[in-house]
Amino acid sequence: MSRSVWKGPFVDAYVLKKAEAAAESGRHEVIKIWSRRSTILPQFVGLTFGVYNGRKHITVNVTEDMIGQKFGEYSPTRTYHGHAADKKAKRS
Amino acid sequence: MSDLICVGAIAGAFGVRGEVRIKSFCAIPEDLETYSPLTTEDGSRSFTLTLSRSINNGFAAHLEGVATKEQADALRGTRLFARRDQLPSLPDDEYYHADLIGLEVLDTGGQVLGHVKSVQNHGAADLLEIHAPGLKETVLLPFTLVAVPTIDLAAGRIIADPPDGLF
Repeated sequence: MSRSVWKGPFVDAYVLKKAEAAAESGRHEVIKIWSRRSTILPQFVGLTFGVYNGRKHITVNVTEDMIGQKFGEYSPTRTYHGHAADKKAKRS
Repeated sequence: MSDLICVGAIAGAFGVRGEVRIKSFCAIPEDLETYSPLTTEDGSRSFTLTLSRSINNGFAAHLEGVATKEQADALRGTRLFARRDQLPSLPDDEYYHADLIGLEVLDTGGQVLGHVKSVQNHGAADLLEIHAPGLKETVLLPFTLVAVPTIDLAAGRIIADPPDGLF
């Protein structure tokens, strides 16, 4: 069963606190968090988080498309290195 | 930056008529055929490749000069390489992973931060995995205009302005 709408999205309190502090300071920094279960809120857009995957913090640059997802979805816990071949990277 | 890029591998024979089972490492697997002829790593053999159909975990393909199952079996494990100049050119701000891997990363003050080990994407933006000499773990640098303002492929280096707390 999905979460009741009246409760609003779940975010760990410390994540909100850290994000607010980072947004206020205006510095370009990585916000280290361990809360993979927290929902990505609109006020996180533009911030850079380091989301723990059990071993290290994976850098996640939050964009508008990611609102409503959980942080853990962008920080895989298993390692897979494919071949570079003709794969491309776009600088956003 | 190497001139040869691994784009696939031969996984063995397929059937008894000299077809081979090919694994493609390309972003669009069918593109492997467009890079034909492909060579081995040392360049000693060259193969003109024709994909015949899609099969489990790859493609069945005909290689020129391979007519029997025994010849196809002998090629099992051979990695197939394309030349870098066979890849199509890309628009601004798009780079092949193969071009970025191995570049030296400097900060805006000219201090060496490390070199690019791989390029990753976990669903958010692309990330450069940087191997820094003094660190035990690799560092993931967002591949954005803010964090990576300059890429000089000719000089083989990247100028990075990493966010605080990354290195």
